[in-house]
Amino acid sequence: MPLTAAVVHELRHLLGPEGLVTTPEGRMVYEADMHTFYKGAPDAVALPRTAEQVQKIVRLCRSEGVPVVPRGSGTGLIGGAVAPRGGVMVSLNRMDAVLEVDLPNRCAVVQPGLINLWLTKTVADRGYHFAPDPSSQMVSSIGGNVATNAGGPHCLKYGVTTNHVLGLEMVTGTGDLVRLGGRAPDRPGYDLTGTAVGSEGTFGLVTAITVRLLHAPEAVKTALATFASITEASEAVSEIIAAGIVPAALEMLDAAIISAINASLGKIYPDAADAVLLIELDGPRAEVEAQAERVAAICRRRGAVSLSVAADEAERALLWKGRKEAAGAVGRLTASYLLQDAVVPRSKLPQIMREMEAIAARHRVTIANVFHAGDGNLHPLICYDDRNADELERAKRANEELLNACIALGGSVTGEHGVGLDKAKNLPLQYGDADLNFMFRLRRVFDPDGIMNPDKLLPSHPACGEGFRPKRPVLPAGAWI
Amino acid sequence: MAVSAASVAGALAERLGRERVVIDPSALAAATIDGRTPRWIVRPASIEHVAAVLAIAWDENLAVVPRGAGTALLLGAPPSRVDIVLDLCGLDRVLEDHPDDLTVSVEAGVTAGALAERLTGRRQWLPVDPPGWRRRTLGGMTATGGAGPLRARYGTLRDLLLGVRFVQADGVVTWGGARVVKSVTGYDVPKLMVGSLGTLGVLCELTLRLQPMPDAEQTWLATFASVGAAQAFAARIVDSPLQPTRLEFLNEPALRACQMPSAAAGVAVAIGSAHSAVREQGEQIAAIATSERARLAAVGDELWAHYDTALTPAEGEVVLRIGSLPSRLADTVGAVERALTGSERAALVTGCAALGTLRVGITGADPDIAHRLIEDVRNFLGAFDGSIVIESAPTALRAGVDPWGPVEPATLGLMSAIKREFDSRGVLNPGRFVGGL
Repeated sequence: MPLTAAVVHELRHLLGPEGLVTTPEGRMVYEADMHTFYKGAPDAVALPRTAEQVQKIVRLCRSEGVPVVPRGSGTGLIGGAVAPRGGVMVSLNRMDAVLEVDLPNRCAVVQPGLINLWLTKTVADRGYHFAPDPSSQMVSSIGGNVATNAGGPHCLKYGVTTNHVLGLEMVTGTGDLVRLGGRAPDRPGYDLTGTAVGSEGTFGLVTAITVRLLHAPEAVKTALATFASITEASEAVSEIIAAGIVPAALEMLDAAIISAINASLGKIYPDAADAVLLIELDGPRAEVEAQAERVAAICRRRGAVSLSVAADEAERALLWKGRKEAAGAVGRLTASYLLQDAVVPRSKLPQIMREMEAIAARHRVTIANVFHAGDGNLHPLICYDDRNADELERAKRANEELLNACIALGGSVTGEHGVGLDKAKNLPLQYGDADLNFMFRLRRVFDPDGIMNPDKLLPSHPACGEGFRPKRPVLPAGAWI
Repeated sequence: MAVSAASVAGALAERLGRERVVIDPSALAAATIDGRTPRWIVRPASIEHVAAVLAIAWDENLAVVPRGAGTALLLGAPPSRVDIVLDLCGLDRVLEDHPDDLTVSVEAGVTAGALAERLTGRRQWLPVDPPGWRRRTLGGMTATGGAGPLRARYGTLRDLLLGVRFVQADGVVTWGGARVVKSVTGYDVPKLMVGSLGTLGVLCELTLRLQPMPDAEQTWLATFASVGAAQAFAARIVDSPLQPTRLEFLNEPALRACQMPSAAAGVAVAIGSAHSAVREQGEQIAAIATSERARLAAVGDELWAHYDTALTPAEGEVVLRIGSLPSRLADTVGAVERALTGSERAALVTGCAALGTLRVGITGADPDIAHRLIEDVRNFLGAFDGSIVIESAPTALRAGVDPWGPVEPATLGLMSAIKREFDSRGVLNPGRFVGGL
């Protein structure tokens, strides 16, 4: 149902002519995020500059029963920032200020549209950084990182977005502006900050974020180990973790990815390698040295073909350039791919990599791997030719089979990309009826009318609907009454 | 209530076995909480037992107070009703243990000490150390948000709880989170449960992230002529690449209680790392200490042993938990000490100097003075959204002053709505949490 003229008029009055996009070509820009399967252009795109405007948008939409879809930079991978039912998309790019930097208390207050890397750039000269570093950090917004509870290579040691968010200001689905958490720790009451991070815009729209800043480590050492097989590399990863070493990052790249990166960016990684481990250690200098020796010994024991350490910052930057631009380089390999984000327990990496090979063979698809091996978070790229319908079907089947294999090993449906439209249907793999119903009811508290980012995060499932009653213990009826 | 005590006891006994339902008057009297004597103590041995107890309680509108080791029963407000004390110490099994993944799943009644013993042989730990942690249960520490000096490096249970199985007020067994170290599948239900004081569900199983134990840990104690100097020293440590495992502030009475040399204030810095790195960071700490005119001495682990003993709440002690800021540490300690001026009682003030979290302990405090202290310090902290919460105190004090302090109306409204959604009958810990939830 398109927006009424009165709603459009009111939004334009609120946001000004520059603050509202209603033309078909303008709205088309917002019809998808980085998961191109899912399309849905909003009826209007609102570009607010203040929390008050955000609040008025939500209140108006609530009174009209219009869906509200939040959007940051649109770099999400899950069909989270698309509007399948139309409605008003609220793009927060114009709210991109650093409101305050408070280094004595190691925190900053920022607006949601601020680009992740800009925050680090703001404080880097004073020796600080914002730890969550999704590969998209040059373009993704901190609000988007909060919505998806984004991870990144360095989250292995330092934790994901939620571990670095101290407080939120948010307009909930009821149109109330609430402050959750804050700069001072241990606020009394429920940890609604922690509950709201990762809620993918289904609780409301975040209008300000208080984040933790970290001091830069004294030393950083980046090493590259090559292996003859991805299984051997996986065994090395599992052993490093089991040995109690927590590298800053531990990234795996397989032969397909290596050749794509080298073809696209020049020879960064050894061509002959079937698997590369990018290992970064950071911390106090002596600690890094001690750990580097142990890591090297483990890699050699696990059959590393070569092991080299970046000699300087330029070499280190180059090693990371390949990793961070891997997704782009994949264009050399395939026109289209499905990207999986499931997680397995770290000790199960060798097993899942072997199963993955079998799945790829069974469905006759190429699977390329570049992932955060240290925390068991897989990112297989299942390649297909989008001109070939059969190949897409096989890729989809391989994708689902792989997800099921991860869950069977005790894993998780998504490690850092989020659920969105893409994985809502998969939640019952990890959660039972009572668990889903709990989440549904929690969502309804924040958004009683179901206007906030509908269809995302929770599946269309009886347990996620009104009137569902999860199973209770059966009591001896009337035995004591 | 239309139901007789005997018939509820019968229903409980039928589901759990007679030996798990205590109706002996003297045992019930001993379990009195803030003057309210329970009608039953129930000792479940499984999550199914817990579910059955809550289903009965829900149907009969009975108030349930979950209890672990019983060390945090004086946290928050006195309960408005107590019918059943649910003693979870019988849920004491380790369910899954994955040393190579650094994860473990335990029942809520497992004590932190029992887990620590299991883990030492393999150089792993759950680095959560509120005073008296060894005998506290993991479920209790999770529900009450307990934390100690190690939070400087490792955070709190908020950062370590990966998954949780709990029983909702009506008896529905529910799971949230994951068994792996990274997951964003669905809402982060474990975060909602940490520190919720069992008001949304009774925590029964926890999946926890473990940490590798450093090869070596060494503690240095820096002492100062003023609290301000201690704050300046801590700020230098924080604004450096040093990565201490603990950065604990101690005021003069706290130093004395920990049997440390007397000084106006101290900061205990612990470095946990490879042996060579401990040495090297020790040299850097010494350099900072010199430039900040501190006296610095290497101290053994006995500091932390004394700390644990001295700070475990004693009978009748008033313990307060303050959320301040590192930059306001000295001001906050000053506000506490000012409020005690004229009283012969001294406060033991300790806390994480890297985060600005403080713990205040006062033994034998006059209730009026403690009352005024909370109000004065609360006013001071309110200017920058800090908070002061009663972690433990006699009933009268907790009934006379809001133990949690104010929460902004819109935020409290949201918290109340959540409580109403999941426990509309007020079965779980009624009256004890913020805003009387």
